[in-house]
Amino acid sequence: MNRSLVILLGALVLCAALLGGSYAVSRRVCQNCMSKSVSDLDWLQQEFHLSDAEMARIQKLHEGYLPKCAEMCAKIAAKKSELETALGGVTNVNPVAQQKLAELAALRAQCQAQMLQHFNEVSQTMPPEQGRRYLAEMRRLTLGLHEQTESSMSESAGHEHHQH
Amino acid sequence: MNKENINSDPGFANASDARLSALLRESRVSPALPPRFQEGVWRRIEEADAPVKSNGGIAWLDALAALVLRPRLALATATVLMVAGALLGVRDGSQSAHHDAQARYLAAVAPLSLR
Repeated sequence: MNRSLVILLGALVLCAALLGGSYAVSRRVCQNCMSKSVSDLDWLQQEFHLSDAEMARIQKLHEGYLPKCAEMCAKIAAKKSELETALGGVTNVNPVAQQKLAELAALRAQCQAQMLQHFNEVSQTMPPEQGRRYLAEMRRLTLGLHEQTESSMSESAGHEHHQH
Repeated sequence: MNKENINSDPGFANASDARLSALLRESRVSPALPPRFQEGVWRRIEEADAPVKSNGGIAWLDALAALVLRPRLALATATVLMVAGALLGVRDGSQSAHHDAQARYLAAVAPLSLR
């Protein structure tokens, strides 16, 4: 094999190793350094550039909201368990299971309403522009996921109808 | 016995060698030299003395290899690559950490939306 070709290939491999190695090391170091503070609210302060006073108010709201959220989660988990019991061993959806489904949906709706209320309260503690952005972002992240699923399902259903 | 006699007689051996040499000389075929043989020989000697000329494809490869082996250039390239890699890593790392922080907040306030 030509000596020059070997040198060039070796240089290329060395370059790739240097680039890849420095990328991997700095990425890991940066990620570790930035993830050292493990508060749930870090993202809010980073993303919306909030002052310490604003963060203190949000922290208070957050601590007030978490027990309510946990309570709703526990209720939903219990209702899901009841639904599974009602569905267990039967092949059709019986009236009891339908009742449990409705109750579960109502609990989820109540949970979402409580969550949106919390987002509203948090957004009001921020400067107006940041508050609007926060609210839009949280709605997109929490409700948008369901909307995407529903729209993709309706699209696929539409395609199937066209095929029939 | 004969063999010993032959080997032991120096006069016989010399005469035999001379005859053998003459026979060999006669039997050697010396073909006529091709036309412009000498000129060809000198040309080949001159070509052998001249520096080797490589073809175009190999020439640029050699030049590039020589360039790569220059210590200052190699050091500068290595530095640039390391700095570029580090900058890209810091950018991606901070984005990833930001994404993780967002996911942590979302998991705290909206666990239902993640299910």
